[in-house]
Amino acid sequence: MTDTNSREINVKEKQPLDTGGIENTRDEARFSPEVDIYESEDGLTVIADMPGVTAEGLSVDLKDNILTIQGTVQPQERRPKILLKEYETGDYFRQFSLSELIDQEKITASIKDGVLSVKLPNKAPAQPRKISVVTE
Amino acid sequence: MTIFRWRGPGFPGSILELERMRNYMENVYSTLANGVNNFRRNYTGVFPLVNLAEDDDNLYLTAELPGIDPQSLDLSVKNDTVTLKGAKKVEPEVKEVNYHRRERDIGVFRRSVSLPVKVQAEAVEAKFKNGILSVTLPKVAEAKAHQISITT
Repeated sequence: MTDTNSREINVKEKQPLDTGGIENTRDEARFSPEVDIYESEDGLTVIADMPGVTAEGLSVDLKDNILTIQGTVQPQERRPKILLKEYETGDYFRQFSLSELIDQEKITASIKDGVLSVKLPNKAPAQPRKISVVTE
Repeated sequence: MTIFRWRGPGFPGSILELERMRNYMENVYSTLANGVNNFRRNYTGVFPLVNLAEDDDNLYLTAELPGIDPQSLDLSVKNDTVTLKGAKKVEPEVKEVNYHRRERDIGVFRRSVSLPVKVQAEAVEAKFKNGILSVTLPKVAEAKAHQISITT
């Protein structure tokens, strides 16, 4: 696909979240994390960039086929003087609607180096039911 | 900033009209410029975006680098310039996948930041935690603020 040896990463500003009028109690900005979502034979994988989020501050929730990803970051140490501010820090929030084919019991999530990985396995295919025919 | 010049009495009216128009245009431009600045802040458009802060003794540089292998990260300090180099690779564990979304960018990056003061390159400390790189750069002695006691 892309040659990772020469291609330069494009900068993307964090997208502040439209809260739709519902505000956070904490005075932290909320951002929509960038995600990769791919499907394989086993199921769906969601990868989200959430720098600053630890396992403790992470919440992954599936309810009514809506996957909710939330990450809280520790407030940064206050420095006396900011010289340059190119990015804002804050919490992360994003939701996706999923199909009903996900096995909700088997969802796993892990976070490493600020990258969340959620694995959503498919439900086992329905077993063909054998119907015995009784002859009279 | 608009500079108002005092005009003596009897200054021709048509020139005053021109002056008013010029002021109006300056206002429009400064409003536009401020708006853009507020929105983009100090945006440079080079990955990674960095924040820089200072106190009396140190400069603090932070950058968000989620998913970057700390081993591939190359940080160097020379005089008053910090250079960050690295690469981000995003590869699924399994080969045959069908992408629904692909928002996370991959590739190489190189970013140099010039610092406002000289730092002690040999005493720079960097740590990488939860995808955030934090660099503490101690200022050279000459750049530190000196407290001067006032005798009475």
